This record gives sequence, C-alpha cells and structure tokens, in this order.
Amino acid sequence: MRVPATVVLGPIDVLIIFLVSIVAGFVGALFGLGGGVLIIPFLTLVEGVPVPLAVGASIVSVVATSSASAATYVQDHLTNLRLGMFLEIGTVAGAITGAFVSVFLPASALFILFGIILLYATMVMIRARGVDFPANVRPDKTSRILALGSQYEDQSLNRVVKYEVTRTPLTVFIGYFAGIVSGLLGVGGGIINVPTMNLVSKVPVKVASATSNFMIGVTAAASASVYLLRGDVHPLLAAPLIIGVAGGALLGTRVLKVTPPTRVKVAFGILLAAISLLMILKGFNLPVVL
Amino acid sequence: MDLNRLVSYSLRIGVFAAALLSMVGLFVWAAGGFNNVVTVMGSEIAGTLASAVRGNASGIIYLAIAILIATPVFRVAVSSLYFAHEGDRKYVLISLAVLSMLIFALVSGYAG
Repeated sequence: MRVPATVVLGPIDVLIIFLVSIVAGFVGALFGLGGGVLIIPFLTLVEGVPVPLAVGASIVSVVATSSASAATYVQDHLTNLRLGMFLEIGTVAGAITGAFVSVFLPASALFILFGIILLYATMVMIRARGVDFPANVRPDKTSRILALGSQYEDQSLNRVVKYEVTRTPLTVFIGYFAGIVSGLLGVGGGIINVPTMNLVSKVPVKVASATSNFMIGVTAAASASVYLLRGDVHPLLAAPLIIGVAGGALLGTRVLKVTPPTRVKVAFGILLAAISLLMILKGFNLPVVL
Repeated sequence: MDLNRLVSYSLRIGVFAAALLSMVGLFVWAAGGFNNVVTVMGSEIAGTLASAVRGNASGIIYLAIAILIATPVFRVAVSSLYFAHEGDRKYVLISLAVLSMLIFALVSGYAG
C-alpha cells in the first residue's frame, strides 16, 4: 500500500495559505476557473508541500470556489443553468475518460495541443473584445430543442442582454476533451470552457465565466473524492483553503457583476495567454508547475 | 421556488457549513497547541469522521471536506428532482445522466 505524503504545518503556514487562497478564490470566481493554477505552484514552491498533497488540496478548493461563486451567480441569473447542465454531460464524461486513458495516453501531446488552441483563442478573444453580444446569432437545432438561449442583466451596461447559443454540439465535443484534460492533468476545465462558450457558442463572456464556475464543481467533486480516499487531502491545507477561497470568491462575484465585458475579456485573455504558454512548456516536459 | 433559488441555496448551505466547520476545526487545533495533523486514507476516514463528534480537530475538518465534496453532487440531484416536478423530461434525462456518471466516478474512483 502506498504511504501518503506528509507535511508538517504550523500556525504561520496556515495563516499564509489562508491569505493566498483569498486571492485564488477571487481570481477563480472572476474568470470561471478553479484557481488551482495559483494554488498548486504556491503550495509546492513556497510552502514546500509535496505535489500530491498540493493537488489534493487544490482540487478541494476548486469545489469551494465553484460552489461559493455559483451560489451568487445562479441567484443573479448570470449562470445559464440549462447550458451548464447540458455541457456537464461532456465534461464529466471526459473526466472519467481521462482517468481511464491516463495509463496509456501521453499527456504531453494533449498539453501542447490545448496550449496552441488556447493561444489562438487568446488572440481571437482580445481582438474581438468589443463585440461581446454579436447580432444575428442563430441558435442551432440542439440549442432550440433544449431552449438554451437566455438573458441576463448586465450591471456595468445597465441593461438586460438577450443572447442565443449556437454551435452547441461543437462546444459539447470540446467540453468532452476539456474534461479529459482536467481528468489527466488536474487543471480545471474552466480555462478551456470559458473561451469555448464565448468564442464558439457566442455566449457573453460574463455568462460563460459564471456558467463555467457552476460546471467545474461537479468534475472537481468527483476528482476530490478520489484524492480524499487516497489520503492526499491534508486537513491543515484544506481548512484554510476552504475558508479563504470561499471569502475570495464572494469578492470576485461582486467585481465581475460591475465590470464591463470588454475588460473581462482582455483580463481573461492575458491570463489565458500565460496559462497556455505554461501548458505548452509542460507538454515539452520542461520543468513547469501547473 | 424556482430552480435558480433552489440551486443557489443548496450550494450556499454546503459551502457555508464547510467553511464554518473548517473554522471550528482550526480553532480546536489552535486550542490543542497546534499539534501536527496527519492525513488519513481509505477506510480510516470513516473513523476520523466519527471522531468529529468527540471534538477532534482533524475529524471536524474531514467532516467539512466531506460536506463540501457532497455539495455539487447534491446540487445535481436537487436539479433532477426539480425537473421531474416540472415535468421537463429532456432535462430530467440530462441531469440524471450527469448524476449517474458522477456516482459511477465516486464509486469506481475513475475521476482523475
């Protein structure tokens, strides 16, 4: 039997982890990500936590970020519940596939592939930052049958934005691969789901972020249970993270609501560029913590 | 009650309970003199969860983690009941599909 990794943590460590996790929860809630991209490097590089424990703690905090921010976004009708639930079929199936194929499939190819796709998405997103609500979006058949089109009240623009969802099958298909990537690599599917919903299906960026936050909770919960049973979830890492990201996420949801979509897109684009570069580097087996 | 409220409350209660228990766990840990805590695995987790009742810091935090992990799964289950109540067959199927895959992942351990 495998012996769980251990780490000794004192009150100062717990306090620092709590403070950093506020930032992670904030960023995660704002951009529809789990925040694992911040937490894993911090725990391993700064706190000297062994990688399995860092990933285990991070995945638990993704569940907290997702649930805390989704609670607010869902109440404000920013989340597209129907779209989220439909896309979950793809992401959850992908996460299970990812766990199955991780034995045979080299993750490096997927990393490079997604890194390149996301770099391309970055360019498109920043270049088209001004048009978040394109006119004449025609819902595809799936979208019409499932009534995926919706509306939300944009507080930064002071108006109700109606939108349609298009090219749904392609978004589900990409979501499936996003699920595989998250199953294989422990990075949340959020970084892939947000640009896909926004650029492929023409969902407004804030709705894409809120819906992604809603979706990543279920995949992360499934993964978290595995890490928990393996003995990779350390209570002294999990406790400050849960409290911190939940608080940070509540701040993030307030900021997203009042920020203009253009700015959200540019900020997301910059973050996306950084993460896709990290993914590509990691694909070439360069020492990158992700 | 509409679906948005139902989902929002489910998530809020789960996160709030988890954060509160985490806080209590950390206070108990501090009161006990910051003793080192180790992770437990597999079947030992049940025993540790039970120790939460006796005020064991580690047990209380493990309880928080368990509640947190159950929250999104609970949210999917609540949604499927809502759609069933509304007679929305398409979405009953969609949410049940997600729920059954989740349960498969939880039981089999195939979830990344």
